[in-house]
Amino acid sequence: MTTADLPLPAGSDQPARPATQALSHHLVHTALVRWHFAFAVVFLLTSMTAGFLVSLNFLGHYPFENTSWLAVGRLRFLHTNEIAYGFLVNGFVGAMYYAVPRLTGKPVLSKNLGWVILAVWQTLVVATSVGQLLGFAQGVEWGETPTGFRPGTWELNYIPVDFLIELGAVLVAAQFLTPLARSINRKMYVTGWYLTAGIVWLVLTYVMGNTLPEWNLPGASGAATVGLFIHDLVGLFVTPMGWGLMYFFVPIILRKPMWSHALSVIGFWALAFFYPLNGVHHFLLSSIPMSVQYGAVISTMAVEIVVTTVIVNFFATMSGRGHALRTNLPIRWFYTGMIFYFITCLQCAFHTSLTMQKTIHFTDWVPGHAHLVMLGVFAFWIFGIITWLWPRLTGNEWYNRRLNQWHYWLTMIGLLIMFVDLLAAGVIHGFLLDSLAPWMDIVNAMKPYWAVRTFSGAMILIGSVLWTVNLVLTALNPKPYDYRVDLVDEVESTGPHAGEAGAA
Amino acid sequence: MDRFANIIAFAGLGCFALAFALSGLYPYLITASTRPEASIAELAQDVPATFHELKERFPVAFAAAHAESDAALTARELAGMQDGDPRHDASEAAWQAAYARALQHGRDRYVAEGCWHCHSQYVRPVSNESVRFGPVSTWVQDHNALQRPVLWGTRRVGPDLTYEGRLRSNDWHVAHFLKPKAVTPGSVMPPFPWFFRDGWQVHRRIDPEVAERTGLSADTSYPLPGVYDTQAEAESALGRAQQELPSSLAAERERLFVTEGNGLNQDGLAMLAYIQWLGTWMPPENEPE
Repeated sequence: MTTADLPLPAGSDQPARPATQALSHHLVHTALVRWHFAFAVVFLLTSMTAGFLVSLNFLGHYPFENTSWLAVGRLRFLHTNEIAYGFLVNGFVGAMYYAVPRLTGKPVLSKNLGWVILAVWQTLVVATSVGQLLGFAQGVEWGETPTGFRPGTWELNYIPVDFLIELGAVLVAAQFLTPLARSINRKMYVTGWYLTAGIVWLVLTYVMGNTLPEWNLPGASGAATVGLFIHDLVGLFVTPMGWGLMYFFVPIILRKPMWSHALSVIGFWALAFFYPLNGVHHFLLSSIPMSVQYGAVISTMAVEIVVTTVIVNFFATMSGRGHALRTNLPIRWFYTGMIFYFITCLQCAFHTSLTMQKTIHFTDWVPGHAHLVMLGVFAFWIFGIITWLWPRLTGNEWYNRRLNQWHYWLTMIGLLIMFVDLLAAGVIHGFLLDSLAPWMDIVNAMKPYWAVRTFSGAMILIGSVLWTVNLVLTALNPKPYDYRVDLVDEVESTGPHAGEAGAA
Repeated sequence: MDRFANIIAFAGLGCFALAFALSGLYPYLITASTRPEASIAELAQDVPATFHELKERFPVAFAAAHAESDAALTARELAGMQDGDPRHDASEAAWQAAYARALQHGRDRYVAEGCWHCHSQYVRPVSNESVRFGPVSTWVQDHNALQRPVLWGTRRVGPDLTYEGRLRSNDWHVAHFLKPKAVTPGSVMPPFPWFFRDGWQVHRRIDPEVAERTGLSADTSYPLPGVYDTQAEAESALGRAQQELPSSLAAERERLFVTEGNGLNQDGLAMLAYIQWLGTWMPPENEPE
């Protein structure tokens, strides 16, 4: 808990201190938090715009057909890569600049290093996108970052962005592992476990996915490693970062501790053990040895059990604070994300079975699932974190709180429409494939679903644009922020025990 | 277990290493390590007629892409040659070198254009895929340098391409890359105009009798092989084409003319070579055990 989060004494009518003052704590470099969030939002918008444009191609109305550097195939790289390396990494790193020093009582390694990382990372993300748009992608899904060398050789054909990103990841690791290692608490809080492991995993995963399948592991074994890379990037970087920050922000906003420490322990260690074993489930019914495929399916099912423990823990923590879902937008983002996380993981447990793979692999079911995870869970959490912190970081009251509500509802409903639409499309595609229907019949059957997808994408994009406008105008808003407005109070009970909470 | 060093050692390193051992190293040990990976030179040993045709149709772009172009002789050029002419063997080696380069370049383009995000390259043993596309994929057939990393794909907006090579003509693919919707109505594949270069071509107007019989406009024409950078080069090609016509077909000469046109550039040629290669290479049988 931080000073800015503590309530003033009851009945105090002294004016609220500007939140920045409370935050200008020698530990936290708020400017770095702000700038990482700002870049996260920029890349969010470019990525979403790219996704929206790509979807237009499927309606037969792509406006830039004859422009090579805006080719649909290349924009798709930009869509997924900027979300991963531009939006998610900036969002998580920004949130870590806020959380890690508070958690450990130690500042990050160096403020100047922070500015270097900020500059280097944005340059790498832009270099990645420029490289991809100019036609220098690498054949690893979600790691299309140009390698700079032709796979299997050291023949240079572009700036080796991949290796520079590995360097950037090492800098990030040094920046945050230093305070985590020197923490004033000998035993780490859950958030510390997740962030520590997540940072180490990011470095290892990136090195593995961008070197081994290209140079050391050919064919099917390389495919197994590529599957592991895709999965580890989600499961061993994005997921631990996301959950680590949830364990940090949820108790702070709800102003109560997590319900069960034991469940946190189970959640963390089971994630560490089972998650990476899932990798091969991206290539089921393939020529990777069946024993490896079965192992991946079983550990995927095991993950669902783990997920349930974590979800139970968070929802039990909510006990007595349920009204926060209505009154506190960040909490609503977080918990909506958790529900989506549960649905996503439940989906995984079923759709990695070979029975379902038969139908849904290679169909729109998979992008539907991926959007629920990346947007519905982790982006929602980052939206919540930025929404919670932005007035505190700028010291300014929201320009317009209703725009934040529009952001939530447009994104949430848009995503639900997209998810259900793509699942339905996927099932139909799968059965048509099995039925030996002519290929163009399958494509034509998909078109109404693709139209709905574009519509839902537009909702999501508009929501994010409104939010961005709000963030910018809030940063310029002269009205100071009064953090007491957003404090979550004890439940206002009207039941038989009314008043007891106050008495205690 | 909630100390920094333990988290690093057991979760950060231990769990990661265990997973890599089970789902990366183990498949490597029981598959890839048991036989050598086929190099691109091995994949390019049998140069198909479709690749020869690319040189005939797009000689300027082909020469720009391949220094061996002069030594690589087409069937027509070889036909007039004596047996035992050393240019025979030199020609075969030149073709193989050019083909290997084109396959590598074509794969690079296939990756960079994101083809693999809409087309898969793996046939599964379910969903009647072996009926629709061809034999179920094996790890041995993907154990080659052009599958590094594999291009199995994750989505099939378009059909699987594992066995696409030689299914369709070069001309079909050229037209399809230029205007997919014109070749396959309703297709959502984007066009790839940057696989083409503008230039000059020799066209032949169709026979007036044919035009009358088919109802086509008398101005209808079709291009002869070859796309030239300048009008002058196309004019000289026109001259050669007119001379090649026997005097009995003198009227035909009048129907030849030079016009602007486009043809594949180096990227397009490589893409064609790669597409036509897919599924045509089969791994040599395993050594008897």
